[in-house]
Amino acid sequence: MKLYEALREEFTAPRGKFTPAYYRFLGMREHIRAPLPLLRAYGVAGLFSYAGTHIHKNDLIVGCLRGASYVGPQEVLEHANRFLASLGKREFWTNDSHFAPDYAYILTRGLPGLHEDIENSRAVHAADPDRLQTLEGMTVALQGFGRLIANYAAAAEGLFGLDDYDEDRLSFISKNCRALLCAAPSTFAEGLQLVWFCHTAFMLEERGAMALGRMDQYLYPLYAADIAAGRLTDEEAVELLCNTFTKIPTSDVVNICIGGTETDGSTSVNGLSRCILQAVRACNAPGPNLSARISKETPEDFLLACLESIGTGLGYPALMNDEVNIPALLRMGYEKEDVYNYCMVGCIENFLAGQQPAWSDGRFDVPRFIDYVLNGGISTYNNSVGITRTDADSISSMKDFMSLLEAELSVGAAEYCASFNAKNGGIRQDAFPSPFLSCFCRECVERGLDINNGGTKYPSAHGAVLMGVGTTADSLAAIEKVVFTDRAATLSELRDALAANFEGYEDLQKMLLAAPKYGNNDDFADKYAVWFLDFLAGEFDRFRTPDNGRFYIAMAANVQNIYAGRRIGATPDGRKAGEPLSDAASPTYGRDTRGATSTLLSVSKPDYTKVACGTVINQKFSPSMFEGDKLKKLAALVRTYFARGGQEIQMNATSREILLDAMDHPEKYPTLVVRVSGFSEYYVRLAREVQLDILSRTQHE
Amino acid sequence: MDANIANIQHFSVGDGDGIRATLFFKGCNLRCPWCHNPETLSAAPVTLNYPAGAQICGRRMTEDAIFAELTEDADFYRESGGGVTFSGGEVLLQAAAAAKLAARLKAAGISLFIDTAGYAPFSAVEALIPFADAWLWDYKTASPQKFRDTVGGDLSLVEENLQKLLSEGASVRIRIPLIPGFNTAEEDVSLICARLKEFGITKVDLLPFHRLGSGKYEALGLAYAYRETPPQTAEEKSRLRKLYENYFTVTMES
Repeated sequence: MKLYEALREEFTAPRGKFTPAYYRFLGMREHIRAPLPLLRAYGVAGLFSYAGTHIHKNDLIVGCLRGASYVGPQEVLEHANRFLASLGKREFWTNDSHFAPDYAYILTRGLPGLHEDIENSRAVHAADPDRLQTLEGMTVALQGFGRLIANYAAAAEGLFGLDDYDEDRLSFISKNCRALLCAAPSTFAEGLQLVWFCHTAFMLEERGAMALGRMDQYLYPLYAADIAAGRLTDEEAVELLCNTFTKIPTSDVVNICIGGTETDGSTSVNGLSRCILQAVRACNAPGPNLSARISKETPEDFLLACLESIGTGLGYPALMNDEVNIPALLRMGYEKEDVYNYCMVGCIENFLAGQQPAWSDGRFDVPRFIDYVLNGGISTYNNSVGITRTDADSISSMKDFMSLLEAELSVGAAEYCASFNAKNGGIRQDAFPSPFLSCFCRECVERGLDINNGGTKYPSAHGAVLMGVGTTADSLAAIEKVVFTDRAATLSELRDALAANFEGYEDLQKMLLAAPKYGNNDDFADKYAVWFLDFLAGEFDRFRTPDNGRFYIAMAANVQNIYAGRRIGATPDGRKAGEPLSDAASPTYGRDTRGATSTLLSVSKPDYTKVACGTVINQKFSPSMFEGDKLKKLAALVRTYFARGGQEIQMNATSREILLDAMDHPEKYPTLVVRVSGFSEYYVRLAREVQLDILSRTQHE
Repeated sequence: MDANIANIQHFSVGDGDGIRATLFFKGCNLRCPWCHNPETLSAAPVTLNYPAGAQICGRRMTEDAIFAELTEDADFYRESGGGVTFSGGEVLLQAAAAAKLAARLKAAGISLFIDTAGYAPFSAVEALIPFADAWLWDYKTASPQKFRDTVGGDLSLVEENLQKLLSEGASVRIRIPLIPGFNTAEEDVSLICARLKEFGITKVDLLPFHRLGSGKYEALGLAYAYRETPPQTAEEKSRLRKLYENYFTVTMES
């Protein structure tokens, strides 16, 4: 058994309940009279200092939550929980999780360097008490972080001589930890250990979806120096990476970005990119959500290696098109060198590491606005209202229909932004500082400002996740064809048919289903997908977040199409009430019947440089597509699709037979990982409706 | 010029180089009992009655419409080194229309493969020679009697055409379907190999038997002689591969 496989067994063994509140409370109690922002910093320091450590027998890189379980009298825990709850906290919509730290900064400066930078900044801002307090909070949090590292060093040293623990590995761990306390990392192993300590600290803070970002870039100088000096082989690098990735909890979505493009247009792919790909593939677990930035200059062998990894069924990496994402981010006004350094957080959300507050997004269901237009502004299936006051039959052309729909969407987008801004802007930013997170943004340190209080180089960005492009395009194409072209039904008949969920209107449903569908390279339907992006990107770009950041649009509503569909009545594309909507930016499953080339020709028609957040296109291929000669054909398919302006593609590669068998016999497939949407997951852990949705995807070849 | 078309299959990756689109001409003059595209046999449209609903196969398409649909994927052909494949049914039965399309594809710089059983007057083959980048030539048996009795044609016409095509310097890939009980006995194989050697053939593609078309027979209300015949085992495939490897460079589809 490989070391990381043995580690996985240790790692997944049952552990006690994680009790972060207790350790935070301990830190706060020591300084209970401190001003609130500082009190929170002492809480973070307590969390890092007092949470117990745990070193697995098979660890090379250390850091996990296993030791952080309080087991004393429960009254203490209850008291801690109550007190912490009374202080409140940030949530997803107030920029708490989904963040990529500036690891390049931390690795260059190291712990001592970072303390020094904060000290220098305190000298610069000596006359500003607010900034001094913010900087003091950072120092406090960082000191706690140092104790976390020291605790692990001591723990490793304390295990010397114990059965089952390998002394070489323990001294390797202790040496790496001690080195990090004194200086910036000088080897690849030290660098990786520092990154993993930071990530462990974020997990202790209970932040989800924290990205590791462009690991193959920020760790490359250390990797390259080790390789050049003969201190490290690729095999050892992969072993260290596997040892790290195995400790990513399977419930988390930790985005890792490899590949990319330099500002001069050349590829960023290097030896470490290949090691990371190999390690993620070997681990075969859903936690490390690997993304590969692809451009024209990406070496063919690297693209093929990515596809081979996808073909194992794992579905990682997702392939991101730099030639769309870079212009999309430049459009948002960021500087060129920052944009070229973009990575992703969560599933696919584009992010500038350490240069903006944590990400947030929310869902915007588009098909329901069609319902408003058909029903004089009153929803037929939920208690909501639009602005249309026109009777269906007085809408005399497709053009008029679209004008009404655009007016509805325009108001809907404004409502959405108002709600978000009220929530996001409704808290006192200075009352909820993130002193530790702020250390990972060099401008925060320099300016003496918290990450959420003007510290970052750029303001926050919020994503409006647009739901149902396929359902919307198909619905509009069906209305144009059946009602306004063929005159086979009136709008009021259509409205009544939808209200009746097509009962008694089966012939009309057949006609609607027979109308052109998005995903077959037919402009009759595809033009509505183009409109969908153009129009909604324009609407959301009219608004700004409370700190004057941008609203991005996102075409990536992971699995939410199933749950949104349950609440949305029958739609004019022939879909019955309760059925899933189209997924993410994909055409409705089963309706793109002309093969992968046609699907991708359709899907690349909209202008994705208007989608700053990112896009998810789920495609399913038979496992044989990933073998031999066909793999190259698949690579050519991806390159052509990207050359035509596709933004992203991710693939399922597990055969239908296996998926069906796994639904009936989950016990046979405990380690079957499948691509779900913006992430992968153990198949047998998915809800049945999600399993069915994956099965229903159009399978190519 | 219009043509009877069964189907245009985009993203066709099983037959030939790169990403291709396969144009299935409708109508065939042979009746191979193992055929996996029975819906393409008649020139006239047929209805397939699937449990999920009826499907009509076959339509008259204009040359412009076919050309437009085939060129949609041109970017994919270029990037992958692919192109268009004419298949069927039997493309040679609509050689005039096929040649006109072929000329347009050639002018557009799109690679063209012809997938044929080769059973037609040589003039039909000749009409396509200037435009075809490669021929995927079916060779099912070297026994004239078996060919006549089982497939329903005159093998000498196929062989004469092949001979002439080769003498024109065309790139020809011989494809041999491996049909249990028809051409898989050792003596069948020896005969095929000896015959192909006479033509100067050095490479063959072997197509293992499959019965994925059985659902279509059912939908057409036709009996399928191979319904109960299982696909070849790995051992059987390897046995056949070795036999052919005594004479040729062999590729075998999975």
